[in-house]
Amino acid sequence: MISRVQFLLLAVGMLCGCATQKMSGDQLARVAKDWSLSIRASQVIPVYPLTEDLQPGDVFLVQTPVEDQVKVYLAKGFLPLENLVTRLSPAGYARFYRGWPHVADGDKAPPRPWQFPKDESPDSDFSRAPLAAFPTYNFSVSRSGGLNVAIPVQSVPVGLNLLDSASANGTITLKDAFTYALPARTMFDAIHQWCRDNADYLSQYEPAESTTDGKHAANKFYLRVINRVYLVKTVDVSLFSNRGFGVGGSAGVPQPVQLLNIANATEAAKQFAAVNDILSDATSPAPRDAGAPAGAGAPQPPAVGGTVKLAMATSRSVSLVETFRRPLVIGYLASDYAIGANGKCAAPVPTLSLLEGHSPAAGKTIEYLGCDENCARIRPWIKQGTNQQKLETWLEKKGGEIAIADFLTGDYAGLRQLMVVELIEAIQ
Amino acid sequence: MALQPPSPQSSVPRTDVANVVDAMLLDSRVKWVGIVYEATVGGVDRFTVTPYIVDPTIV
Repeated sequence: MISRVQFLLLAVGMLCGCATQKMSGDQLARVAKDWSLSIRASQVIPVYPLTEDLQPGDVFLVQTPVEDQVKVYLAKGFLPLENLVTRLSPAGYARFYRGWPHVADGDKAPPRPWQFPKDESPDSDFSRAPLAAFPTYNFSVSRSGGLNVAIPVQSVPVGLNLLDSASANGTITLKDAFTYALPARTMFDAIHQWCRDNADYLSQYEPAESTTDGKHAANKFYLRVINRVYLVKTVDVSLFSNRGFGVGGSAGVPQPVQLLNIANATEAAKQFAAVNDILSDATSPAPRDAGAPAGAGAPQPPAVGGTVKLAMATSRSVSLVETFRRPLVIGYLASDYAIGANGKCAAPVPTLSLLEGHSPAAGKTIEYLGCDENCARIRPWIKQGTNQQKLETWLEKKGGEIAIADFLTGDYAGLRQLMVVELIEAIQ
Repeated sequence: MALQPPSPQSSVPRTDVANVVDAMLLDSRVKWVGIVYEATVGGVDRFTVTPYIVDPTIV
C-alpha cells in the first residue's frame, strides 16, 4: 500500500514537469516575457532560454529594422538570438583584467578556465570570476491561469506542486552570479577588422529600401556584438501559498502533507530526504535500480533540468534551491553596428539604448549622398507656409519617423520620390 | 509622435554644409551643430556635420 507521503511525492514527480509541458503557446510566450522583464529591470538584455554558449565577441546578424526590433523587444521582453555570424576572439582579457588571477588570452581566455578548470572534469569553478549581484524578484504564480511570472528554472512548478496549491506568491533570488567583459574599444577594433576582412560577405546586407502597404522603409542590417555577459549558477525560489489547496483531496489525499512538522523531527527528516530523493531522481540521467527504496515501481519522473533541492517547507511555504551544473548566461550587453554600403561597418550604438528608446543622436553617422532632383524641389517647398508640419506628419506615417535632414540627403531616394508625388505634385 | 533626431552626416561638401545644417535645425531639439573637416577629395572639401541635443562641451 502506498503511503500518503509516497503518493503525494509521486504526484509531485509527475506534475513538476507537466506544469510546463501542458502550458499553451500563449503561456509559454508569457513565461519568456515575464522572466525577461525581471532581468531587464537590472539594465541587462535578457537571454531566453538560458544558455551557457554565449560570450563576449559573439556576433549576430540582426535583420529586423530598428523600429521593429523595439516592438519585438517590448512585446516579447527579449530579443531572439539567431543568425550567429561569427565568434570573435580578440586579445585583451589579460590587459583588461590585469592582476586578476588566472585570466589570460588565447585558449585560456574567459570563460574557459572557469568553465573547465580541470581537463578531465566537466564541473566548473567560477570562484575566481568577477562577481555580480541581482536584486530579489517577487512574483505570483497560479496554476489555473498559467504561470503569471514564470522563469526558465524548474523550481517554481516543482514548488507549486509541493505546496499542493493552486496559487502562490514567491520570491526568486539569483545567487552565485558572475560577469565578465571586454572593453568596447577592443571590440570596436576587432569587429571593424572583421568587417574589412569580410566586406564581400557583408555587402549582401547593404541598406535597401522596401515598400510594404504603400509605406517605404529603409531596411538596414546590423551586427550585434556582445561585449559583456552575466551568468548565474544558483537560483533560490521561495513560494508562499496564498489560498486554498489545488489538487489535494481529489485523489485520496485528504490534506497536504506537512513536510516540516517540528513536533515530529524524525518524520520531518525522513520526508525531506524522500522529497530530495524524488527530485534527485528527476534530474538524474540514469534510472534508479528497481530495488531502490524511493520511487520503486513508480513511473520515472520527468527530467526537471538543474539540480533542485528542497531547502525548507511548511504546510504554507516551500523553499527550493536549483543549481545548474555550470553557470548559465542570463543576460548581456552589446553594441549594434549598422552595415553600410560595400559592407562597411558604421559606428556602434549601444543595443540597450536603442531598445529602450534613448536617442542615438551623435552616435550613428549616415553618409551624405547629395541633394538629388527631388531634394532640390523639397528644400524650398518646406519653407512655405505649414509645409514643414505637413512633411513631418507624412514622415511619421510613411517614413519610419526619420528626421527631415536625414530624409533630404540620406539614402532615401525612393521615399523622396513618393513624397514629391503625394505632397507636392498632388496639390499642384 | 515626434520624428527621430537628425543623424550626423559624413562627406558633406563645403557647398552644401549650410543646407544640411539648415535642415538639421528644422528640428527644434537640435541646439548645437558640429562641423569637422574630413578631407579634400578631387578639390572638394568634405565635412562631417553632427547635430547635438545636449551641449557637447559638457563632459
